[in-house]
Amino acid sequence: MIKVRKLSKSFGGRQVLREVDLTMEEGKTLVVLGRSGCGKSVVLKHLIGLMKPDSGEVLVDGENIIGLPERDLISVRRKIGMLFQSAALFDSMSVEANLAFPLREQGVRDEKEIDARVAEALDMVELSGEQHKMPADLSGGMRKRVGLARTIVGRPRCVLYDEPTTGLDPITTDSINHLIRRLQRRLGVTSIVVTHDMKTAFHCADRVALLHEGRVHFDGSVDDLKASTDPVITDFILGRSGESD
Amino acid sequence: MISAIGRRTLQALTYLGEIGILAGETVAAMFVGRIRLKLALQQIVETGARSQIVVIVTGAFTGAVFAAQIYFQFHRFGMDSAVGSVASLALFRELGPTLTALMVAGRVGAAIAAEIGTMKVTEQVDALRSFGVSPIDYLVVPRAIGLMASMPLLVAEACACGILASYLIAVQMLGVAEAPYMRNLTFYTHTSDIAIALIKGFVFAVIIVFVSCHEGLQTSNGAEGVGRAPTRAVVISSLAILGMNLVLTFALNIIFPSGQ
Repeated sequence: MIKVRKLSKSFGGRQVLREVDLTMEEGKTLVVLGRSGCGKSVVLKHLIGLMKPDSGEVLVDGENIIGLPERDLISVRRKIGMLFQSAALFDSMSVEANLAFPLREQGVRDEKEIDARVAEALDMVELSGEQHKMPADLSGGMRKRVGLARTIVGRPRCVLYDEPTTGLDPITTDSINHLIRRLQRRLGVTSIVVTHDMKTAFHCADRVALLHEGRVHFDGSVDDLKASTDPVITDFILGRSGESD
Repeated sequence: MISAIGRRTLQALTYLGEIGILAGETVAAMFVGRIRLKLALQQIVETGARSQIVVIVTGAFTGAVFAAQIYFQFHRFGMDSAVGSVASLALFRELGPTLTALMVAGRVGAAIAAEIGTMKVTEQVDALRSFGVSPIDYLVVPRAIGLMASMPLLVAEACACGILASYLIAVQMLGVAEAPYMRNLTFYTHTSDIAIALIKGFVFAVIIVFVSCHEGLQTSNGAEGVGRAPTRAVVISSLAILGMNLVLTFALNIIFPSGQ
């Protein structure tokens, strides 16, 4: 569904991505691993045209979306939902209004249908009955769940997760991991999860890509990742910095 | 030294270009995009209706002190009856639009930059885009409509309050005769003076809304950036208003010559 070809991006002279190649298979979950600041989120934002690369291509259903004007990207963005690192809920709207927002923007006018789909999405993330709360009244885990419900309420074919478990306690992290897997099975969506959390990677991934120094250092199955003896990979999995006290 | 001046000039031109592009995209969006009337009405309430107190107080006190100063100077020459007309012309042509714009830049411009800036750094602007919603359509167009519709009315309100205050100070407090005061006021104040006030108000609204939205949309560096955006919005808007006022004063005096 989505292919990334030779994607390069730099910020202020610092090269973050160097000719990155990735392929996302339909209905599967790709986990993109890498250290903080290695460009994982940058890759994700390129997939829905939120950033423009220095060079390279992003093909969505065979169409290169790089260089498309904002208005032409609307149809692409409706195929792809994104859960932002901070959940990015609209502060001024209730949970219900946040979830109804993408539906209204898609042109859904039937209030009964909107109510039903909002309730269904909240049920999927196990937050039924919380629709009247404001984002400021939610915990970090709840915000992520509401963000996820808002992402899936428009029924995208692909969901992008930007650090879905960062800043959450281990129990909530496990709960979100199960949620990602459950949604992927239930909705059959293509999922791309950007994280540096190995538990999330092992739990959610059908395939793993490891970004290192701006390039795809590894691209394969979870079993291949675990079996690797490459020091870059083993250090990352085991969380070894190489420093001593 | 020369390279520093050149660099500053380039930065200023780049900034002007960015504002111009934002303004162009906004005007284009008003014709080809979706106008969100509910949001525009909310902005009229927020930027217009809720700015009335500050604008009324500014207009009234400006008119009051201006009338007092004119009286103190003119009384020596026996020209007390000119207080009303001088205050009226000064308020419509200069003080009303400029002071109203400066107050609105402080109140509304800062709020626009802070709100959009917060949305930018918390990824809410990206979230809008991810749903296929243009931030120009959703954030800038309603604010532009709201402020452009409100500002001329706010300027008119400030001028009216200023003239009323000048009447109270001159006639009721300092004892200027009411009949010649009113005769001079109505004789020397023309429709063109009111038109100048409204035109200036509209142009200043354009400056405030595009500078403030631009500062908000360019915000980065988290809380520090959000703190800086309103300050920059107010300072740049205020300086641009003062500069543009000089240009408009000469340009509008050609279109609406004084005394005609």
